[in-house]
Amino acid sequence: MILHIDMDAFFASIEQAINPRLKGKPLIVGSRESRLHTVVCAASYEAKAMGIDSGMPSAEAFKICPNLEFVSADQSKYIWASEQIFELLKGYGFEAANASIDEFQMDIKDTPGPASLAQEIQKEIHQTFKITASIGIAKNSLLAKLASKINKPNGIAVLTPENLEQILAKVPAKKLRGVGPKTSLLLASLGIETCLDLYKKSPSFLEQFLGKHGLNMYAELHSTEHFDASKDDSETKSVGHSYTLPRASENTGFIRAWLRLLSEMVGARLRQQNLAARTIHLWLNGPEIPGFGAQRTLQEPTNDSYEICLHAQRIMAKTGQKMPKIRAMGVTCSTLSKVNYLPLFNEQKRREGLLKTMDKINAKLGDWSIYPAVIHLARQKS
Amino acid sequence: MPADTNEELNEKIQVIATFSGGKIYPRMFTWNNQAYKITEITYNWQERKGSETINYFSVSTGPDLYQISFNSSSLGWHIDKIIQ
Repeated sequence: MILHIDMDAFFASIEQAINPRLKGKPLIVGSRESRLHTVVCAASYEAKAMGIDSGMPSAEAFKICPNLEFVSADQSKYIWASEQIFELLKGYGFEAANASIDEFQMDIKDTPGPASLAQEIQKEIHQTFKITASIGIAKNSLLAKLASKINKPNGIAVLTPENLEQILAKVPAKKLRGVGPKTSLLLASLGIETCLDLYKKSPSFLEQFLGKHGLNMYAELHSTEHFDASKDDSETKSVGHSYTLPRASENTGFIRAWLRLLSEMVGARLRQQNLAARTIHLWLNGPEIPGFGAQRTLQEPTNDSYEICLHAQRIMAKTGQKMPKIRAMGVTCSTLSKVNYLPLFNEQKRREGLLKTMDKINAKLGDWSIYPAVIHLARQKS
Repeated sequence: MPADTNEELNEKIQVIATFSGGKIYPRMFTWNNQAYKITEITYNWQERKGSETINYFSVSTGPDLYQISFNSSSLGWHIDKIIQ
């Protein structure tokens, strides 16, 4: 059996635990300090009840609820709490894995009384961190995750062979991990509305209409395999960062500063993992270029932030406009390989030495202790 | 509308704390020559900044809530902000 722990409104709950004044109030956590020019990272259950949720522009959230409480996100708190919760879960002696910053799974095998175990975990999390978690228990990871959403917040749901079909019949298929808007429409056209409809389809039917994705879905739904937390499926496929600007901008210096900052973040992460990339992808969003995306493939892999930025700028030139208004942008590097080459030329050696020195300074003194002057504009508070 | 952000302070303070079982419990702090008794530690967390570890505490003095921090390398305490 798999036990899936899903923290309830994680970031917002931590902020409510820190500040008792916020308890029981509609609250949003914004990605930056400017309350009206940010995006909702997390919403408390009181805010969710009003229709406010993650991804919504904060200005829209304030229109729905003018008395909304606001806190700007502080990742360090959430990362620390996530790591501590994971440590607590490992203490139960089962194989454990973190599915995301606020979701964890444990393979509890055939432990008797799984609901009592879930209650014990909920109690310990609440006592230690003053926040709640919802827990789903089922025969596999996919169904356990689904079950964790059924009795939110602070609930427990156990999917047994006896109640499985009854519960799946009540859950829309689009709630299942891996069923996006496109797949959901396709499933609806096939008469598949609920998770039970999907569960009862044969693998050949799902393969016929959904291809390999359909087969994988069948396997995930029906699997009774215990997960192997030690299995290394964590091989990095891509490294990317994106950012939504406070407002659409066509200021060349500001946009280039952000492009360089994102490239620096991507480059630093590649170098930390001793990886280099051959493909650089730039994504831009703005009123004149909605959802623009293009990429370049390099002859030689790189993890040099400056080089990544230069290629991103060349991709930007493909928009065909001098400097379009930009609201959001993202830089992603893929086709990754381990760095196993030595620089040949003096200029390459000099660049590599510079990057290594900067990385060392930032590792010792903290991120962004040293950075290229060009990105200063982006690092100023918006 | 409530205040836009919490009031940032970033000032050094003196703290009386108990170190017990590998944990730190700040009990009282002095800021601007005034002593504040901590009635509750509402939360605490850590952050690594380069080679330094910073321990953060949100502490209530009854009427007010503050964020204070302890740098375990420099052994210094700071008052970071007043939490609104």
